[in-house]
Amino acid sequence: MPLDPAFVTDWGSASIRLATPLLLATVGGVFAERSGVFNIGIEGMMLVGAFTAVATSYYLGASADPAVVSLLAALAAMLAGGGIAFIHAFLTVTRRVDQIITGAAINILALGLTNTLFRAIWGETGRERVAGFPEVRVPILADIPIVGPIFFQQSLIVFVAYLVPIVAAFVLFRTTWGLTIRASGDFPLAVDTAGLSVTRVRYAAVLFGGTMAGLAGAALALGAIRYFTPGMTAGRGFIVLGAIVVGRWHPMIAAGACLLFGAADAFQLRAQALNLGIPYQFFIMLPYVLAVAAVAGAIGRANPPQQLGRPYRREAG
Amino acid sequence: MDFAATLPRLVRRVFYRLVVPVVSIAAALSVSGLLIVVASGNPLEAYGAMLQGAAGSIGSLATTGVRTTPILLTGLAVAISFRAGVFNVGAEGQLYLGAAFATVVAVAPLGLPGFIHVPLALLAGFVGGALWVAIPAYLRAYRGVSEVVTTLMLNFVGIYLISYLIDPITGPIGERNASYAQSALIQEAARLPVLISGTSLHAGLLMGIGLAVALQILLRYTGLGFRLRMLGGNPTAARFTGMNSSRQIVIAMLISGGIAGLAGAGEVMGLRMRLYDHFSPGYGYDGIAVALLANSSPLGVIISASFFGALRAGANAMQQATGIETSLVLIIQALTILFVIFGPLRGWVATRTTRRAGLTPGGSESAP
Repeated sequence: MPLDPAFVTDWGSASIRLATPLLLATVGGVFAERSGVFNIGIEGMMLVGAFTAVATSYYLGASADPAVVSLLAALAAMLAGGGIAFIHAFLTVTRRVDQIITGAAINILALGLTNTLFRAIWGETGRERVAGFPEVRVPILADIPIVGPIFFQQSLIVFVAYLVPIVAAFVLFRTTWGLTIRASGDFPLAVDTAGLSVTRVRYAAVLFGGTMAGLAGAALALGAIRYFTPGMTAGRGFIVLGAIVVGRWHPMIAAGACLLFGAADAFQLRAQALNLGIPYQFFIMLPYVLAVAAVAGAIGRANPPQQLGRPYRREAG
Repeated sequence: MDFAATLPRLVRRVFYRLVVPVVSIAAALSVSGLLIVVASGNPLEAYGAMLQGAAGSIGSLATTGVRTTPILLTGLAVAISFRAGVFNVGAEGQLYLGAAFATVVAVAPLGLPGFIHVPLALLAGFVGGALWVAIPAYLRAYRGVSEVVTTLMLNFVGIYLISYLIDPITGPIGERNASYAQSALIQEAARLPVLISGTSLHAGLLMGIGLAVALQILLRYTGLGFRLRMLGGNPTAARFTGMNSSRQIVIAMLISGGIAGLAGAGEVMGLRMRLYDHFSPGYGYDGIAVALLANSSPLGVIISASFFGALRAGANAMQQATGIETSLVLIIQALTILFVIFGPLRGWVATRTTRRAGLTPGGSESAP
């Protein structure tokens, strides 16, 4: 029964859990795209983040408190994601290489590296559960029926994800940093004229994006599953690109899109049992269809940053 | 220093065409070799086993041909779009739609002879791929919406649409009560002929080579080819000639999508004989790498696709002989692309040759 309270609680809780990795990577992607750099390599950066998080947690193992281990693992994942993003930044900003091709190459590289290392560490089939993010139960709030278990009884990373879009929106729209990032995507000449370096701004935004994608990978791997499987991001990095578009390059709206996509994903996993007459595949398609509709202008106007995808050259107009 | 300048003109042209891909591949193999050493393996042994598995016998050459076929076609699909200044990142989805359309015609018991049924099913594949790029093409040509996001997103819609179509319970063309999501077997008459008996090498490879030659001629010697190249090389000049750019963009994208559709049709009709879900391990994305390595030259795509096909074919032999993961070929592929686009070498070549028309991944001037 779709409206049964137990179903709603279970579905809602899963929606939040599945939306969390999307949201973290999406906010990072919004910054990169706002600065003018398109990154289809988010998928690969998430994958590397997921692998690094699990490997770190595996090697630190029982040596420390699981909570500490998971935090160190998340940190390692962020560093790894940032490291991959550095390749993207170097090639696209410094070398002015096409951003799509670079991103596509990064995705292939990430898949190859993580597959190879996975077999090297865990062998053919081995998957060992590692320490994940600790579960947090907010006193009193978690006791509210339905809402409580959905929002206030989740793994630690979910609570981090609640704050991220708010802080990101504040930085992007209320601080000079944010203004500079937006300007370097819309009108980089102005940034240059103001004596700031477009190159530096774009590097910072791309590195931040990669760091968040790495964290998103950690959230995916250490949130509920707690082990690594090859290719485990399974296209979530591309859903993120859709969420950025549907969210109109605004961290809060994009976070809302992630929540919607997380809910669709959670519903899809349950729809087969519900026998609704709507094939479950249509729920999986939803993020992608909405993204196309959004860029096509079918749901309001979605204006991408004007210089998105274009390298900045000082002399050429 | 520039000894190449002393060579005859034709040799010089070939040299400049090959220097970037060859050096990039060599660099990628070297770095991957280092990785093998780190993993305490022997790179020479690994590459030897790979070569043996890709070209050591008629059977392994046939396997290379089989692996080459789909990426040759997706490579041509991406290359033609690059040449027209359009970035079709949606070959993967177009491949799936082409496979589905071809399957619908190929499973139908039409009672036709093979020489009619096969072309009909291939035509359906072309139409399927072209239809799947039609919306992005319209949006790009008439509404100014970048084709990158739309073609990329439609890949996933396409993959899950096929998953729905052949669902064993709900899918309209799914085989009922099958344990996997799959279509019915295609008709005998709709199968592509096998080229070497005892292997699975099928006529799809010939179709790919034929198309490469046809596209080369189209681009070089026809009015349409000239307009497409001008569109890619210098959109502003193209506009001043008074040509209808929007129309050319749509034509280029439909051709591109159609060829990607043929890649899917070829896999169903030549190799698998059914439509399965998730049957492509990313051939559409391989097409981007293949087109890039060939600098978007259709004839060059034959060579670069063969290289990637050989890597894939040799990977299994390498794993069996040395225990090194097949994923190593993904690393080799990715590094090859990264070295090609990294570009100091390409800059060196560019200063010595006239610039090619079309979207050059290294430069921003002609980016759409």
